[in-house]
Amino acid sequence: MISLDTFLFILASGVLLGGLYALMATGLAIVWTTLGVFNFAHGTFVALGAYIAWQVTQSVNGGMGFLLAAALSVIMMYGIGYLLHFVLIKPFERNANLVLLAVITTLAAASIIENHILIGWGPRDKQIVPPVSGAISAFGASINIYDIVVLAVALFSLLAMALFLRRTSIGRAMRAAAQNREVAELMGLNVSRLYAMTIGLSAATAALAGVFAGSLRFINPTFGTDPLMKALIIVILGGVARFTSPIYAAFIVGIAESVSVYFLGLYWAPAVLFAMMITVLLIKPEGLFGHRSRTL
Amino acid sequence: MTETPLLELRGLGGGYPPISVFRNIDLSVGMHESVGFFGPNGHGKTTLLKTVAGLIDPWEGDIIFAGNRLNAEGRMRARTSKNLNYDLFRKRRIRAETVVNAGLIYVMQGNLLFPEMTVEEVLDIAPLAAKGRTGITAMRQRVDDLFPRLQERRGSKIRYLSGGERQMVSIAVGLLALPQMLILDEPTLGLSPKLRIELAQAIRKIRDSRVPLIIVDQNIEFLTGLVDRLFLFDHGSITREIDSGSMPKHAEIMTMMFGEAN
Repeated sequence: MISLDTFLFILASGVLLGGLYALMATGLAIVWTTLGVFNFAHGTFVALGAYIAWQVTQSVNGGMGFLLAAALSVIMMYGIGYLLHFVLIKPFERNANLVLLAVITTLAAASIIENHILIGWGPRDKQIVPPVSGAISAFGASINIYDIVVLAVALFSLLAMALFLRRTSIGRAMRAAAQNREVAELMGLNVSRLYAMTIGLSAATAALAGVFAGSLRFINPTFGTDPLMKALIIVILGGVARFTSPIYAAFIVGIAESVSVYFLGLYWAPAVLFAMMITVLLIKPEGLFGHRSRTL
Repeated sequence: MTETPLLELRGLGGGYPPISVFRNIDLSVGMHESVGFFGPNGHGKTTLLKTVAGLIDPWEGDIIFAGNRLNAEGRMRARTSKNLNYDLFRKRRIRAETVVNAGLIYVMQGNLLFPEMTVEEVLDIAPLAAKGRTGITAMRQRVDDLFPRLQERRGSKIRYLSGGERQMVSIAVGLLALPQMLILDEPTLGLSPKLRIELAQAIRKIRDSRVPLIIVDQNIEFLTGLVDRLFLFDHGSITREIDSGSMPKHAEIMTMMFGEAN
């Protein structure tokens, strides 16, 4: 048997991972539910967000620098996501093969962004310095204060996003465009702009996830591969029936990952997660928290 | 008719490429007039209205509303190669946003609306098209009076509503855009006779408030009391125009369109 503090340590790191994954997966899920396409460039949004933040922290030090870096990264990635809609998806939206074409264009964008990161920032590992340090101990296990901050901010951002989509007119218009494009157009809503805003919002959450991930581990040009894979597993595992489905799934995946890393080792963790995903696909293809519809 | 028409279609033709659905549609609807469309299923009524509403590009002809042409000039270019992404270069010839902003509002048939949104949320975003114009508050009040049932179902998601309630939300959404003209596409489709009467009363009230209407329906008795003129639609073109004075019975129309055998 494992001791209580080991158990708590595994649980805590799993929950932290879950918070980060929830940010990554929700962004992917809102694009999937709204536009009906899968964004393979989502992982590179995480990476690019991390690099932008790192660049800012090079010029401004300390806690203020980190805040400024995070804010600039989120705002810039919103803009980049917004513009990319008009390059990657809009030109093909009247094509019957939109889903397939979007796979190709977003994969191309992922490759182009990744290589430009390599050209611009070089291959060497970098790390964003976390703004707070220190740890608190509870039940014999010590937990980093920064981990708690990351989890809190991640959950707060998701809550803010949910409220934005439910309570504000623009958020409601975005959901309307996601649920019935034709009727949204007949209401005079500018659906293209709402779609672009959805991708922007998705890229902004990816950037926030990137800033946090980049301060917890090292960033390099292929930094986006792992988040994309995890987000993919989560979205399939949890389904996209509700805004919260991928969030629950993210915590399941986070905890499953830290458990399997402890008991089976780092290299077996992805195998365990994919096995979980395949099992769910076989038994309940619409996802653990899904039913046969996709909505925002 | 001597007054200037509000909506005018000139030689309009269109469809889903490469299939032509309707052609040579010429009609005009006056400022204070309500007209009906009647015709069998699959003869292009809805496709025509979707084109007028800006969801589908017209192939040829013009859509003129309140003196302004809503579509791009000329004919649609035919697609000559299957390999190039023509959509990249070819602009839309009409946009739903332009049509809505001009005040021509189309209420779709069998409307699913937004299944996961509540009635209240839908009615909240409905006036976005008319933003900045006066009269939205008054129209909200009118919608509440017309459809008191929607007040009771405010918190329900659209997918839990009955067909009739859903139709009421659709019409309410159309009204909240402050229409100059309202197009109702088969508002009574699949409704019980009782609900049909209820809806007919609401539609009559809308007509009496001098909003010009275009109503499509399969039931001639339903249309008779509501419209001033009736257009018969057959195989993608308007074959006959009937004034309200000489409105025939359902059976007569059937004979007219399908011959004695019907």
